[in-house]
Amino acid sequence: MLNDTNHSNTSSGALLVLSRVSARFVDDKKSVYVLKDITFSVPAGAFVSIIGPSGAGKSTLMRIILGFMPHESGTIVRNFKRPAMVFQNYALFPWLSAIDNVAFGLKMAGVPKAEREHLAREKLKEVGLAHLENHYPAALSGGQRQRVGLARALAISPDLLIMDEPFSNLDTITSEALKQDLLEIWRQYGITILMVNHLIPDAIELSDEIIVMGTHPGHIEKTLTVDLPRPRDTRDARFFKQVDALIEVVRTVS
Amino acid sequence: MGGILAATLLLAASGYFSGVSWLALSDAVLRTTYRLALAYGIALVLGVSLALVVGWSPFTDLLFPFFDILQNLPSFALIPLFIYFFGFTDLMIILFAVSSIVWPILFSVLTAIKSAHTDLNDAASIFGARGIRRILYYLAPLSYPAMLTGSIVGIAIGWESVIGSEIISSVSGFGAFIKGADVTGISQAAVAGMLAILVIVFIVNRLVWAPLLAGSSKRYAE
Repeated sequence: MLNDTNHSNTSSGALLVLSRVSARFVDDKKSVYVLKDITFSVPAGAFVSIIGPSGAGKSTLMRIILGFMPHESGTIVRNFKRPAMVFQNYALFPWLSAIDNVAFGLKMAGVPKAEREHLAREKLKEVGLAHLENHYPAALSGGQRQRVGLARALAISPDLLIMDEPFSNLDTITSEALKQDLLEIWRQYGITILMVNHLIPDAIELSDEIIVMGTHPGHIEKTLTVDLPRPRDTRDARFFKQVDALIEVVRTVS
Repeated sequence: MGGILAATLLLAASGYFSGVSWLALSDAVLRTTYRLALAYGIALVLGVSLALVVGWSPFTDLLFPFFDILQNLPSFALIPLFIYFFGFTDLMIILFAVSSIVWPILFSVLTAIKSAHTDLNDAASIFGARGIRRILYYLAPLSYPAMLTGSIVGIAIGWESVIGSEIISSVSGFGAFIKGADVTGISQAAVAGMLAILVIVFIVNRLVWAPLLAGSSKRYAE
């Protein structure tokens, strides 16, 4: 069953808490709200998805959470120390090989070369790309690039992993495989994951909680808890029922 | 048949250029090339460093128009200023060339930094590229292709600046050589000199810029 969540009761022990956060874009001519009164919290170790139509400000919200964009009002409590991010467009550094991309965060943290290469190799192995460590991003497929992006994020041992539509540029087979790897990594590391997603079945399959956003300005329409047991069977009748219920919510928003 | 044609052309060419002082020409071309190489080296360090620091600072948008005005100044209009401060010297020609070469490099690098994809900037920040590390490990490699194209344009302008200032100031070099060879028409020495410069430009392009550009476009492909 998809249940409405009351966040005022769940913010204790949360890794991230947003309370009435609003933001606006200002240019020379006008100022428009992109986000209005966003309130939610992400419990430590949870897998939370944010879904909503284009223009709901999902990616902007991620940038605000990471401190790359200022918010106009409201409070953000960041109880995480090492956030990492996986990008829709991979955002790999084209001048670095796969292993150097993965080791980038470690290099910036001053980890000695031998140690960071060892760690980077391990992470590449975990995402199944050990054999491509010397390849540059231009020589990798979309799926492989996204795996390098995931390995780069995992290499810094993040306590919060933000993923901005990580599957949207991938074909079904690749995204299916990556999804299973991601779930395995989530279970293994116990990381908190906040994922922007636009695929409803993926959100149901992966998440503990789903935040549905609406547009003009971006706001939270509904927050739902997914109470299906894990591992989730995507061919189960209950799964389809939840997908249908979420589609209905999203339809109302759109 | 081909051999006969080649031999005929060689004889005709050696006959045509028989009056050219090759020693004087080599000396002039080498002086000009040396000045250009040195000016390019200085302009590269100056342009890239300035662009990286300005691109990294929060004042990029403020400084951009200022640089734009400076680069729009016609460089040859400033040559009396260079002569006044540095005289008819090597240094004057080199610094004058630097003042022309630096702008395409600076603007290419600065534009590359300003137009970098937001995700790439965010990735660099999330993974810890801050302060001097951001310049060294993110902004510098990010702007490498732009530095190459800026260099190619800069060197083309640099040839003009060095040769032009040599012609104006009569300081020995290729500019002064062709000025002395014939100021009223095209003499054999001037033709030989132009061919020599063309050969140098062609060789540098094929051996340096073409491989670097090919490598960069392969590496930085989306």
